Amino acid sequence: MTAVRTPPQGTTPPPRLPVREKSAARERGSGLSPMLTRLAAERATGVLERERGSLYLAEGRVVHAESPLAPGLDVLLLAHGTLTPAGWQDARERADEEYGVARLLLDAGRVPRGALELCHLEAVYDAAYFALTPSSTPGRFRYGAGHWLGPLRPVPVEAVERETLRRRELLHRLWPDPLTDGAPLRRSETVAAPAPTARQSAVLAAVDGVRTAPDIARELGRQAFHTLVDVRRLAAAGLLTALFPPPRPHRPPPPALPFRAGATAERAVGPAAPDPAPPPGITLPRVNDPDITLLKRLRDALEAL
Amino acid sequence: MANTETTLKECLASIEGATGVALVDYTSGMALGTMGGSKTFDLNVAAAGNTDVVRAKMRTMEHLGLKGQIEDILITLNDQYHLIRLISGRGGNGLFMYLVLDAKRANLAMARHQLKKIEEDLEV
Repeated sequence: MTAVRTPPQGTTPPPRLPVREKSAARERGSGLSPMLTRLAAERATGVLERERGSLYLAEGRVVHAESPLAPGLDVLLLAHGTLTPAGWQDARERADEEYGVARLLLDAGRVPRGALELCHLEAVYDAAYFALTPSSTPGRFRYGAGHWLGPLRPVPVEAVERETLRRRELLHRLWPDPLTDGAPLRRSETVAAPAPTARQSAVLAAVDGVRTAPDIARELGRQAFHTLVDVRRLAAAGLLTALFPPPRPHRPPPPALPFRAGATAERAVGPAAPDPAPPPGITLPRVNDPDITLLKRLRDALEAL
Repeated sequence: MANTETTLKECLASIEGATGVALVDYTSGMALGTMGGSKTFDLNVAAAGNTDVVRAKMRTMEHLGLKGQIEDILITLNDQYHLIRLISGRGGNGLFMYLVLDAKRANLAMARHQLKKIEEDLEV
């Protein structure tokens, strides 16, 4: 018989189970990167290098951001013919400490100021989204380092943090499974899926079982976050899935270590890791079977209600 | 020849009854620039929310097989007008201008015409 014991009168009740207070974390500042908040407060100049990207600061404001997962400003500018490759190359070669690439492009009249500013702003928020993803290694700040682009339109750190959080929530609302953000994608058969939009069709056409969402973004010359949005919408519509487990990248095998209890915890590199190495000896529950995928979608949708 | 900031300023200064304006990327829902608004009217929230309006309309048009392009979308409240004007950016991104007007002071036809003019000068 199972008896639920109520604490006898006069004794202290057991402590409540710890619950993660999301709202409290949000009030304490964004909580994205305490280091970034501190650097903004001390009006630092330099570059904050994190696991998935870098933020360039000038007097505590974000002047540029880069991430290997987000196409650079050059890709965005060149892909749609806003700028010629020769014009970009020329500015890159002539840029120095005093005259950044941005200023050279504007002075030479190669690109309108409004277009460059907007494109740069989009590139900054795009790269910052990835740079500020939770990471397993601590960030590093190099004081004084500038960027070859030169000053354009600085953005306050709070604005970048607020937008990054909003973007995370947006993705979560569209489709709560982050796996499609980093894994190779493949198309899936579905019944009565809504027709994709023209933008989404272009993404879908690039899905080949090898490319990841950031690869597709670079190929189409679009922002990586925009592609994540399209990919999550397509995943929600059942038109594509992430390949799971992702094929192991070719890298030298790790040195053999005796099995330790903490080994799996050390491997964990955050929820959105592009290639989470599955611990040996554990069968992975995730499958690409359409019926099971449908059931999981149904479950996720019910949980989201 | 105008950049974002001067364009937004011009909207507020030259369009009668304008109380807030934003330039919004409608895939991400991010406001690339805002001007005006108030404590009770957060333009960033309006920007993000109205991307769904634009998306819904575009989707419906695709379903209907309409080939025309949306020029603007008008929403009338009892005391405000909200005007959404679509722009295609050079970066290949869909953008829109979002303009909030005070219904008592604004001339709708005039505002629409002026917003079109300002948008034509905007270099995106």
